Amino acid sequence: MMNDAQIIEKVRDTLVAAGSTFRDDKKNAYCRAIATESNPKAKWVLETILQNAQAAEQQRSPLCDDSGIPHLLLEVGENQAVTGRMLAAIKEGVAQGLRALPGRPMGIMGDDSHRIDQSGGLNPDSAGVEPSPILIRQTDEDVIRLHIMMFGGGPAIRAKTYRVFHKHNTQVVLDEIVDWAKEAVGLLGCSPCTLAVGIGRSHFEASSLMLQALADGSYDKQSEMEAEITRRVNQSNIGPLGLHGDTSVLATFMKVGPQRASGVRIVCLRPCCCFEPRIWSATLSE
Amino acid sequence: MEQVIEITTPIADEVIDGLQVGDMVYLSGEILCGRDGVLPKIVKMAEEGRLDELNANLTGSVIFHTAVSPAGVGPTSSNKLEIEASIAPLSQAGVKLHLGKGAIHPETVQALDQYHAVYAIIPPVTALLGAKTSEQELVAFPELGMEALYRLKVDRYPAIIGAAHGRSIYDE
Repeated sequence: MMNDAQIIEKVRDTLVAAGSTFRDDKKNAYCRAIATESNPKAKWVLETILQNAQAAEQQRSPLCDDSGIPHLLLEVGENQAVTGRMLAAIKEGVAQGLRALPGRPMGIMGDDSHRIDQSGGLNPDSAGVEPSPILIRQTDEDVIRLHIMMFGGGPAIRAKTYRVFHKHNTQVVLDEIVDWAKEAVGLLGCSPCTLAVGIGRSHFEASSLMLQALADGSYDKQSEMEAEITRRVNQSNIGPLGLHGDTSVLATFMKVGPQRASGVRIVCLRPCCCFEPRIWSATLSE
Repeated sequence: MEQVIEITTPIADEVIDGLQVGDMVYLSGEILCGRDGVLPKIVKMAEEGRLDELNANLTGSVIFHTAVSPAGVGPTSSNKLEIEASIAPLSQAGVKLHLGKGAIHPETVQALDQYHAVYAIIPPVTALLGAKTSEQELVAFPELGMEALYRLKVDRYPAIIGAAHGRSIYDE
């Protein structure tokens, strides 16, 4: 088992990588989009975003000035144990990672009211940005693995979690997701997007499935439903930064959880920006 | 790549005359940076005739809709309520180019035309913009932290004209 110092160091480095690095499948997705994009201005935007990713990786600096709120998913194997001490070490590693990146100091101080209306002032420390609650799930592998995703504000404004009456027809739900996505991507301004979708029985479950979809998703492998959503949104001609073109969406990552006997499905859609999911992963067990 | 127009601040009216929606530009010189927190305060100063108290000349200026922090700079959505509401009054006060991202409303596009200003879209490429930024100065409202008014000296920031002369790239 790793000791506290080892966990802190690994989490710190994982957060810096999440905020500064495209995984290989994302780089490949951009290369494919650049090769097929027919609008010269859209192609220029795609090339510039990829150049930015190369520069950020080289400098180990933020991909975007909205460096994001850390969202953590912890996978725990059958023979592994997570202790409160380990969670504290993960939290400290996140704080050190935010300082090292450096993350944007955008934590709001003060009591409940001050934090709502932003009258409590900004914490000048990058580590003043608290991570979201940690989501924990089981894995068949005999490991403890941490995924860190850095979520920006723009996609949060345009994301939506709501009920859909499915009418006993999957296509009805897909149509609704496509309609939501077209509106969201058009307003975002930071396309091409990666659409993250979770379908569950409650708002909490749908949101957690959306997070897991981003952890499990690959730009190199799309299910039929994911490919259909991507294709239909791309037909809308929104394009990179809304400048029109063939590449409004790079891919869709969707996770469908258990469902209840009911006419309703709860759908969570996050139109991740051109840099997200800004994910990196690390094993915290030896 | 098509021809890119070089623009240096302060921007003259004749430069605005020649810009069209879809033009690719490089911006150089001193630019101001502000977003949700500070722009309404500057609008209020303009309405009260107190812009002379601001340590910045808005005539011919560029306002980049961004925070300025150790993480760098990058556009936030210009269609956020308080940001978009600043575009018309600050254009009236002399700002010539508003730099951000995202579609803006038709009435804002018309106001830009009325006050002889334009809106430009900049890709959110923080790592690249860092290498093109040589100086950074806090201008006003330091209590707003990263949302205060800043002045940057920049070299060839890339952008695309998104709204000019009553037209918007998002409507085409």
